Amino acid sequence: MGEDKRDVLQGTLDLMVLKTLETMGPQHGYGIARRIEQISEQALRLNQGTIYPALLRLRQRGWIRADWGTSENGRRARYYTLTKTGKAQIEKETESWERVAATMARFLTVQ
Amino acid sequence: MDEVSRLRTMFSRIGAMFRRKKLDRELEDELRAHLEMAAEENRRRGMNTEEARRKAMRDFGGVTQVRETVRMREGVPFVENLRRDGLYALRQMRKSPGFAAVVIITLALGIGANTTVFSIVDAVMLRPLPYAQPQRLVDVESREVNGTYVSGAVCYPDFFDWRAQNHSFEHLVSYHDQSLTLTGVERAVHLDGEVVSWDLLPLLGVQPELGRGFGPEEEKLGTRVVLISHALWASQFGSDPSVMGRTMHLSGEAYTVIGVTPASFRFPVDAPKNDFWTTLAVDNDGTPRTATANRGNHSLAVIGRLKPGVTVAQADAEMKAIAARLAKQYPDTNTRHDSAGVESEIRALLGDTRTLLLVVLGAVVLVLLIACGNVANLLLARAREREREMAMRSALGANRGRIVRQLLVESVTLGVMGGLAGCGLAFLTTPAVLRLIGESVPRAADAGVNLPVLAFALLVSLVSGVLFGLVPAVASARADLLSALKEGGRAETAGGHRLGSAVIVGQVALGIVLTAGAGLLMTSFLKLTHSNEGFNPDHVLTFTFETPDSRYTKTRAEFYRQYFEKLRALPGVQSAGGSMLLPMTDNSGHLSFENPEHPVSKGEQESARVDVVSPEYFHTMQISLVAGRDFSDGDDMQSPQVMIVNQAFAEKYFHGENPLGRKLKPGAGNGTPGGPPWREIVGVVGNIHSSATQREMDPMQYLPASQLSTWCCMYSVVRTEMDPMSLEPEARSIVTSMDRDIPVTDVHAMQDLIGMQLAQPRFAMVLLGAFAGLALVLTVVGLYGVMAYSVARRTREIGVRLALGAQRGTVLQMVLRDAAVLVGVGMAIGITATLASASVLQSMLYGTGSRNPLVLAGVCGVVALAGMVAAYLPALRAAGIDPIRALRAE
Repeated sequence: MGEDKRDVLQGTLDLMVLKTLETMGPQHGYGIARRIEQISEQALRLNQGTIYPALLRLRQRGWIRADWGTSENGRRARYYTLTKTGKAQIEKETESWERVAATMARFLTVQ
Repeated sequence: MDEVSRLRTMFSRIGAMFRRKKLDRELEDELRAHLEMAAEENRRRGMNTEEARRKAMRDFGGVTQVRETVRMREGVPFVENLRRDGLYALRQMRKSPGFAAVVIITLALGIGANTTVFSIVDAVMLRPLPYAQPQRLVDVESREVNGTYVSGAVCYPDFFDWRAQNHSFEHLVSYHDQSLTLTGVERAVHLDGEVVSWDLLPLLGVQPELGRGFGPEEEKLGTRVVLISHALWASQFGSDPSVMGRTMHLSGEAYTVIGVTPASFRFPVDAPKNDFWTTLAVDNDGTPRTATANRGNHSLAVIGRLKPGVTVAQADAEMKAIAARLAKQYPDTNTRHDSAGVESEIRALLGDTRTLLLVVLGAVVLVLLIACGNVANLLLARAREREREMAMRSALGANRGRIVRQLLVESVTLGVMGGLAGCGLAFLTTPAVLRLIGESVPRAADAGVNLPVLAFALLVSLVSGVLFGLVPAVASARADLLSALKEGGRAETAGGHRLGSAVIVGQVALGIVLTAGAGLLMTSFLKLTHSNEGFNPDHVLTFTFETPDSRYTKTRAEFYRQYFEKLRALPGVQSAGGSMLLPMTDNSGHLSFENPEHPVSKGEQESARVDVVSPEYFHTMQISLVAGRDFSDGDDMQSPQVMIVNQAFAEKYFHGENPLGRKLKPGAGNGTPGGPPWREIVGVVGNIHSSATQREMDPMQYLPASQLSTWCCMYSVVRTEMDPMSLEPEARSIVTSMDRDIPVTDVHAMQDLIGMQLAQPRFAMVLLGAFAGLALVLTVVGLYGVMAYSVARRTREIGVRLALGAQRGTVLQMVLRDAAVLVGVGMAIGITATLASASVLQSMLYGTGSRNPLVLAGVCGVVALAGMVAAYLPALRAAGIDPIRALRAE
């Protein structure tokens, strides 16, 4: 069950999910997937299904919580909510992401 | 990821294993909701239903892949894989239910038999004795260096010397059975108990539930103190704690109750019904020849607790030295007790029963091996049929480890299911087997299918699953991928056929060993049940009662005379008599005697089995009176003292000369001063077996009860015209009418006594017989399977032979010959193994040697016949093959 080469991408996806839940509040998987698609404006071509392993991972770590609820058009769906440790995690992840981004930017400008 | 998240993940995964169904349903619901929401949104954008649904699927990616990924990561991957293999295995079973059923039934028989036997072995041999540090408890017995003193019983003075002189034991305790009658209660009750030295409880490391144990001063003359069992306390005293210090009347004497033992307490272990324990003070009547001072009276068992660090061997050496010293000190009494033996208490308790159980356990393991052989062969045949499936999996990227694992999971799943069914079988059969054992094996009654037994069954299932699964699994993994995938390419799996044949040969060999053992035990049992006991056990009722010394020392002879008169007057009674050491009751006694024709020093006197009987005893038992006369009521204390011997005695000690009129002095005091009297031999009777499993008919001396009125007590034997047990009420009421404080006990028909004594050999025979039968059936089924399979695979070859002009008879012979070779080789190995291991059974056999050629020949005949029957059907099928169809088929 070792972490593989897609770790960076996975980390990115995790942060996207967490951030989405922070801004939108409790949301179901489809909603989260749509939101990520919209924000990234097709720049990121992602199979919607891939967020489910991510959601499971975040849930297992205790960063998000899942409860069954009813969607806007009366459908039973699983809603995910950010937990307290999840909120704290966003800060940590954001920080490290910005550090990586800044480093990358520096590399790219040095030329 | 920090430690907390890691831990949470781990717990979440472990938790998930137990909520599989719920999680699967939730995931399914969630994914369906996702797709429906996506499709709905697509429809809102103007797509038609079908388009909307398809786009939703496309955007999602692989639904199955996501589902499997999530499922795998929800739980522990290793376990998930196992679960998946397990489910696959179950699906395979459902696909071929016949195959699964045959395998599971075969295993259930093997594992069930093993579980049943193990539950008994566990209770009898493996469970420690129920005392503190039981491994330090040993049995000590009296022995003779170059002699035949087998009973091992010890006398009090020797015991006191052992106790005083040894340095090996923390405690050394003597004990012997004692039956007493509890009176002063509503109805007199017969109680079994034990007379022990004072430190029994400290030796065992047991605390009384109530009150106290004995003190050393309570071995002194005149003391009467008693510990009672929890059961007696509850039944006779209503569990009243104030019973402590109260007086209890046992056989006419007043005892002070000083304590109650815990409910679980037993001593000795094989006497669970004991109700009281009292000190050896009761064996001391203060006279010079009292039991506690008599070196000639050997009736004690001795148990010791080794000091820490002392080994059994060291204690044994010390006790031998002490016994040798005592033999020099007291040559008159101890010459034939010049040695001693120490062995672990549990070994002493089990004796020959140990061999019996080990033989049964060995037999049942053989049955399991044969069952595993069958299953392995079935799986091997199936593995060949599944070659294409395995090759396909290989081609699709499954590595060999993965395939072996999957096959092993399949066989272990089969093993576990067989084990479950086997446990059910064991649950059903254990009570029946326990009934068969009766009381013939100590502690067997405690056996049951409990946790350790279930753990054993599980272990056996897993081990057999791996055992019979590994061979085909490895064979499959080695299979040649290409040739297997090619249509019609039917390469033999590496050595698969030879493997199957080897398994059959092994099965036949094991089957021979088992059947030969069973055959020997059966022969022996038939000899036992059909042997002439020397008396007629039909229509004989036996029972006993106590005439307590406290009231009957003077009047005992007269009491019995009147009693037998009344008994003989009952309607339906042909005759009645009494015997103190009744045959078939495990009671026995030896008595030394002085023979004027062979004067020897007192210590070297011969001794022979003895019984004390009433007039008409021989007539009632139908023991033939060969010469002279029976005892009569006229043989009393005033008349000349007499005795009767049997033919074996006359032969051994009078070398066939007429013993009538000769005089001997058996060492039995009759209460008159001056010690034992000379007795004239007035009669010679036929020999009898004193116990049903006795190999020889021993020399015996019979003394008249009326001339030994200090000796108590006789069994009554009554020959009846009808069912002997129907006489029980009348017999009881005669005794009660004469003395209402005498309870009648041990009421049995003589045939039932014999039956109880044969319980152990019967148990051995029935179990081994059943196992041998099972082994034979399994072997036949296995052989049939292998031959049928081989014929099926050779259809083409046989077709070609037939097409080229081979006779059908030749084909039939060819198949039968193949089977005969397998059976023959197996038989040769089996006979060799049987001859090599025969001595194991020796101690269990009566009237037959352990290498009985007739039995062996019979067994081989049965196995050969069974083997040919198993091979005949496939051979017929082979001969019936239609060459045209066989050739066209491929």
